[in-house]
Amino acid sequence: MKKLFITLLLLLPACLILHGQGTDQLVSSCVLDAGPNCKYLKDFRIQLSKAPSTVEMRYKTQMSLWKNTKYKFSMCTAEDSKGELILTIKNDANQVVLSSFDQKTGKTYKSVELTCNRSGIYKLSYDFKDGQQGSGVGVVSMVK
Amino acid sequence: MKRRSFLLLILLLFASFSCRNSSNNNSGFLFPEADSIPVGEAEKLSTEAIEEIARNISSPVEIANLLQTLAVPFSPDYLASSIDANKQTTSFDKAFTLGILGADLGYLNMYEKTGSSIDILSSIRKLAEGIRVGQFFDFETIKRLSLNKSNLDSLLYLSIDSYTRIDKYLRDNDRGQLSALMIIGVWLEGQYLATQVITEYPDPVLRDRIGEQKIILNDLIMLASPYCDRDPEFGELCKFLQEIKEKYSEIRITYTLGEPVSREVDGALVVEQTETSVVEMTDEQLAGIIEITKNTRNKLIANN
Repeated sequence: MKKLFITLLLLLPACLILHGQGTDQLVSSCVLDAGPNCKYLKDFRIQLSKAPSTVEMRYKTQMSLWKNTKYKFSMCTAEDSKGELILTIKNDANQVVLSSFDQKTGKTYKSVELTCNRSGIYKLSYDFKDGQQGSGVGVVSMVK
Repeated sequence: MKRRSFLLLILLLFASFSCRNSSNNNSGFLFPEADSIPVGEAEKLSTEAIEEIARNISSPVEIANLLQTLAVPFSPDYLASSIDANKQTTSFDKAFTLGILGADLGYLNMYEKTGSSIDILSSIRKLAEGIRVGQFFDFETIKRLSLNKSNLDSLLYLSIDSYTRIDKYLRDNDRGQLSALMIIGVWLEGQYLATQVITEYPDPVLRDRIGEQKIILNDLIMLASPYCDRDPEFGELCKFLQEIKEKYSEIRITYTLGEPVSREVDGALVVEQTETSVVEMTDEQLAGIIEITKNTRNKLIANN
């Protein structure tokens, strides 16, 4: 029993490192998948357990978006995730500007392009579809 | 046996957590961070708040992208070429200059003048090592990508990601004042670039972008404010930021409402905003911003 415990403890850091490297690889591939006309700006690394309810999206962040700029928001989901990564963006008045998940059709988009005509600070909310467990990366790029 | 297993476990744990950056680790004993600050002071702004402010600051890559869209040619005259990394003695100077050169690197990368960026990269490496964050800047890979122009995407990603990692590490280790300096340096150099270009290429889109910086100016000031009384250098920087804010005080940004329009193109969602922001800024106000930006940036660089 003790041996098993020690073995598990020894394996823990190795797993953490492998997980970190996996995230880095996912970010790199997500950045490159954005396309040749896209220039990387930021990434958000998201890891969530299953939500007790699906009322609100859980990973919240913000960033400035500038008028006369076309942005591309790419969502990449790790293979072992139970749900797909989705994104909703709201303006400072809390109005939805875009959502990568169409509630009417149930369709999930892996990327969304936004032509920004109003400069400001926007609220980005990420989650996995239906509040599922998962890990993934949201990459923000500029479209040239 | 128990003791041996325990020792082995400790050694393995230590090795596992330290090997990620082993290539650049200092093997010698590290004295406590002279530039770290008491937790109480850092807590004036939460880590999350600082992180969010950092994200709100316009990236120099976005400014450079805008200049390219406007067909503004590249000019080395806008770069802070006079900076000598060897002469940056204090942590303040090193962190601030790291920000300035980061913006210049973004400008060079976007214009694919990557061969010319080697000198700046060397300076960035020295400065990063000077504040003990060199392990986050993958100099060799960035240099290789710079010399090989075919992989601009990876170069942009690695350059920005290195700065993001440095910024996060500084904040996580109670050195938030250095993170603030770096972010302010990046913003100021981007603002300098935009205001210098507009004197030669008076484009309305660029003019709006300069006026719109009012949106994030309070955030920048908030970022610096916990440290304004820390030392005379920081005090002066805070004074400069307040002066810039005053120049922006009469500029108005108004909004027109509208619903976003969505359509599907080749399986991807494309959204266009119909609400707009409008900047009301006179020529005199713009001239004031150009002047204060130039003076502030040049004074801070000269101090270094």
